[in-house]
Amino acid sequence: MSRLLRPVKYVLLPATLLFIVRAVFAGGDQMGFTTYYFSDSGENTVITTSFNLAKKFLQQTAFLLDIELDQVTVPPVTAVTGATRPQRKINEPFEKNRGQVILGVEQGLGQNTTVAANVYRSQEVDYTSTSVIGTLSQEMNDKNTTWTLRGQYNADLVGKLLPDGGLVNNRKKVYTGSLNISQLLSPTTVFDLGYDIVHLRGFLSDPYRQVRVTNDQGVYVVVDELHPSSRTRQAVSGKLSQMIPEIRASLIGSYRYYFDSWKVKSHTAEVKLNKYIVNDLIFGASYRYYTQSASYFTRDAYVGDQYLSGALRTADYKLKAFGSNNVGFSLEYLLRGLGKLDPDMEFLQNSSIECMYFRYFNDLEFSANILQASLKISI
Amino acid sequence: MKNAMPRLAWAILLAGCAAGCGNVRAYQREKLADPIMERESQFAKQTLEQKFFSTREGSLGGASGIGGGCGCAK
Repeated sequence: MSRLLRPVKYVLLPATLLFIVRAVFAGGDQMGFTTYYFSDSGENTVITTSFNLAKKFLQQTAFLLDIELDQVTVPPVTAVTGATRPQRKINEPFEKNRGQVILGVEQGLGQNTTVAANVYRSQEVDYTSTSVIGTLSQEMNDKNTTWTLRGQYNADLVGKLLPDGGLVNNRKKVYTGSLNISQLLSPTTVFDLGYDIVHLRGFLSDPYRQVRVTNDQGVYVVVDELHPSSRTRQAVSGKLSQMIPEIRASLIGSYRYYFDSWKVKSHTAEVKLNKYIVNDLIFGASYRYYTQSASYFTRDAYVGDQYLSGALRTADYKLKAFGSNNVGFSLEYLLRGLGKLDPDMEFLQNSSIECMYFRYFNDLEFSANILQASLKISI
Repeated sequence: MKNAMPRLAWAILLAGCAAGCGNVRAYQREKLADPIMERESQFAKQTLEQKFFSTREGSLGGASGIGGGCGCAK
């Protein structure tokens, strides 16, 4: 199918599914549809289509389903991106599809406690990820304070496609824990504080990425990258959301400090303004600044025979020191006005359409444009 | 990690103190539920925007959504 028709396929199929589900489910349920287009300075493109459904049973039980499809296209010449490919595809465009499913059940326990269990599965030709996630949320202080605790276990298979078409898999395990506290400070102010810890073990390299090494004889040799077999990553974050009723706007500021056992440290600061233009139309503008340090085994050049054997080496640009900026704009149209026109359209009261555009660029000469359109419907 | 632990402890202490600051009644929370406040559900999926940053940079965390591994994050 030509590239021009691909977005049509990724829009029509989920849109049809959405309307079928609308006919089946009703009564306080929610569903959404998102399509996302990404392109970067290396001519890599990603088209993502996502469909999600939340269906309520009884009083406090909800069933959750999320399906996501990605199509990644990498051009013949690689650049500074996150997209790698098998060696046999080095001189031609490489296309890769990924499917993702999340199933979950959410159960309320009394008035202030909610528990949820989710299963996540992502499948592509050379990568499989399976995880289980448990979440506990507790409201306190007359619902002014909410504590949320989450634990997650991932079992991944990091595959490498061989020139003869065979596949070699390596295992990776990921253990994640997070704590989030949300506190109402006033009728117009909310503060969120979060802590995340992730421990990874197993194969943590990219099997396709290779490093250029100068050996002791001064000859260039290309070898596979070699990362440590474990990594512990932590982040502390805070967010302040302030409503400004006088101008029908909100200002949201956030900050995250990240550090890990590979000595990568980073600071992320973001500010976003949302403003009603007219009654049901919201304009959003955001700016995000990011800076990070390099890992302890990142080098501008790898020189010496030790890098041809067990010495750590990387070609991952994400482990270099760099900074980035992201500027975003969004328009969200609330469909609640349409929902009031006719009783049959009442399901649109909590529904909306949103379009977003982001421009990302870093000081490694990488940039990207992201377009996203979403439709959310309460049924 | 050793240097970050005192900062983490202060952050949690601050959160505990903040828990006693707000006393917003239910009838006063209408503005907090407005769409422009972007109150994300803790049980929602990680947004595509959050996923983009986690696969293009060397950091993670600070996102409330549910997500998992993929080949894009190697």
